[in-house]
Amino acid sequence: MFDPASLVLLIWVLLTCGVVAYFSYRRRVSRLRLRAIPGIAAIEEAVGRATEQGKPIVFTTGWGGDIQRPTTLAALNLLRFVAGKAASYGCRILFPTHDPVIAEAAKEIIQTAYNEAGHPDQFREDDVTFVSPSQFGYASGVDGIVSRQKPGAIFLFGTFEGEALILAETGNINGALQIAGTDSTIQLSFFIVACDYTLIGEELYTASAYLTDDRRVQSSMYAQDLIRAVVVALLLLLPILAMFGVNLYKEIM
Amino acid sequence: MISRLAWIATLVTGLFMVAQYFIKTDATNAVYTTLLDYYQIIFAVSMIVGGIGLLKQHSLKVQRSSQQRRYSLITIAAILFMVIAAVIFGTGAASPYQWAFNNLQAPMQATTFSLLAFFVASAAYRGFRVKSAPAFVLALAAVIVLVGKSGFGEMVSQQLPAIAGWVLNNPSTAAKRGILIGVGIGSVATALRVILGIERSYR
Amino acid sequence: MSKLLSTFSARHLVFLAVLLAATVPLLLNIRLTHTASDETKRFYANINSLPSGSVVLISFDFEASAFAEIKPLADAVLRHCFRQNLRIIGLSLFAEGTALGEQTLSRIAIEKGKTYGIDYVYLGFRPQYTSAILAIGESLPKEFPTDYFGAATAAMPVLSGVINYDQIATVISITDGGMPTYWVDYAVTRYHARLQTVLTATMATSLYPYVSSGQIQGLIAGLKGAAEYELLLNEAGGGGRGLLAQSVSQIAILAIIIVGNVVGYLGRRRKWQ
Repeated sequence: MFDPASLVLLIWVLLTCGVVAYFSYRRRVSRLRLRAIPGIAAIEEAVGRATEQGKPIVFTTGWGGDIQRPTTLAALNLLRFVAGKAASYGCRILFPTHDPVIAEAAKEIIQTAYNEAGHPDQFREDDVTFVSPSQFGYASGVDGIVSRQKPGAIFLFGTFEGEALILAETGNINGALQIAGTDSTIQLSFFIVACDYTLIGEELYTASAYLTDDRRVQSSMYAQDLIRAVVVALLLLLPILAMFGVNLYKEIM
Repeated sequence: MISRLAWIATLVTGLFMVAQYFIKTDATNAVYTTLLDYYQIIFAVSMIVGGIGLLKQHSLKVQRSSQQRRYSLITIAAILFMVIAAVIFGTGAASPYQWAFNNLQAPMQATTFSLLAFFVASAAYRGFRVKSAPAFVLALAAVIVLVGKSGFGEMVSQQLPAIAGWVLNNPSTAAKRGILIGVGIGSVATALRVILGIERSYR
Repeated sequence: MSKLLSTFSARHLVFLAVLLAATVPLLLNIRLTHTASDETKRFYANINSLPSGSVVLISFDFEASAFAEIKPLADAVLRHCFRQNLRIIGLSLFAEGTALGEQTLSRIAIEKGKTYGIDYVYLGFRPQYTSAILAIGESLPKEFPTDYFGAATAAMPVLSGVINYDQIATVISITDGGMPTYWVDYAVTRYHARLQTVLTATMATSLYPYVSSGQIQGLIAGLKGAAEYELLLNEAGGGGRGLLAQSVSQIAILAIIIVGNVVGYLGRRRKWQ
């Protein structure tokens, strides 16, 4: 029935879910002072810049994640914001992807954004492209779009693998303002070098809290920070306890 | 109404997947393995839908006689060739499908992959500019790892590969682990926001 | 020609330097002398410690693009496994890796005189890697009732007694991407599978946190890893041949960093003046 070896994990899951759910539903945080993240602040500027230049924007979620990956979900939440801005400014948005399911989700998000902005006629279904499920087929496809369309801004949000630097350098060569965000630690270093702004790891998940007025989303971010504080406290406490011969690593982590 | 149904389906499935991880009975296992089967079936079907969508999209581009017509024509021809070749001759070792895979697709993909070597170099050219003390430390770490992890590392110094290993296994891994812990917490919170319907990209 | 030269930028010079550094050493028949790193020795020792007849699940989780780098690594590890008389179950979680995995496994098996169905089997591709990894944890025979060639797996001696990860001595993910993290998340965490990975050099550092935490028990990466493994096996292969090209390319990138700094410094000095 229940494996006692999973008890520690169960406690962590209940704690994390409980704190996030509690703050999201019951005790909404009234006023939050958010740390400024330049990459998030630059999103609107990037869309505006592309609009002024009369160029489209490119948004892609990387080859490494499918629809159920939280990073992809966080990226699609950002797409909602970017598409909203692009629709209100009358800027064209191109969305190449490696996954047909992501393509369908993106199509709906972008179409909704154009409808809400009152420009349903500006939505072009073929701007959302399922390129190829193959990693470098996808990379070649996106590179081709970037090289031909010369976008004013490129958003690289999601899980990226070996294609990350190829996409970012191509964007850099073509002079686009690039904002990236990923949970792939190895690709972060490439993005930092090749992009104008980079959201590091968790910043991608919190980005939507910055861009929305929804208190529940912001409160859940507060909950995230609380859990992180608990983890940091444990990371500091456990080695000290270990020095005194009390080794609780396995029991707690 | 439909969006509420979608949310209820998300909530029920999400909570079940968490619960079945901890509570294992014959009933939960049966539902769980059925869900895994559906998952694979949905993915396989989505690829067919994606392929048809891709053909439709490029056919439209050809009809519109846009400037990119030639690329679309090549894409359509390639898709049709691979599908027809696989259906008629199969995908065995001596089939046309396999020949095209080994002699066209694989080299083309390897070519794109090899671009990484060039882009790593150009990114390194711009990225390791020593303009401050932290930038110097970063560049120094890069030099140690590049030489230490190359085949020449042992020729320069017997200790250099070990030092490069230390850089990778300690400061570098510690930084990555910090990011990963944040990513882990963020993943849980994001997944929970979706399951609870607090944040969703669909309407 | 002059027009072509006028469009030449620093970026193009960098590209040219890398092209020469990567290709010229391949034309030279020089082998670098080197020793095996602790990382490679640990992987080798893990395989060496498995008793004859142990089951090893090898997942060919790569695409055609990285095959040039992956092949020497995969060859060396497969040779070692067959030499130890381990039972090998091959599969692929990437559609593109399916045929390449089968070709690699069959080639080394024939080279080592092994028999299909007794010493090794190739189960082919399963879509949606998350659910495929989880499904193997529940029941491998149910997930793979037939092999890659359509033959029933139930009566194959190589799969005798294999139900899930409990009967598999080690899982080896041969990959060019982040697949080992999925194996960690779903096979190691949930089913306590023992995992090792063989991967391209660029992806290696992202997995070190999992190696130091013990979730990945062994890792070898890149042409250097392949060359080291060949050294331990005492069998020549593609790793040794490619090591010089990779090493010269690394030194070329180092030279590019130095040149970039000199150019940057000169540019800044000109500005000050």
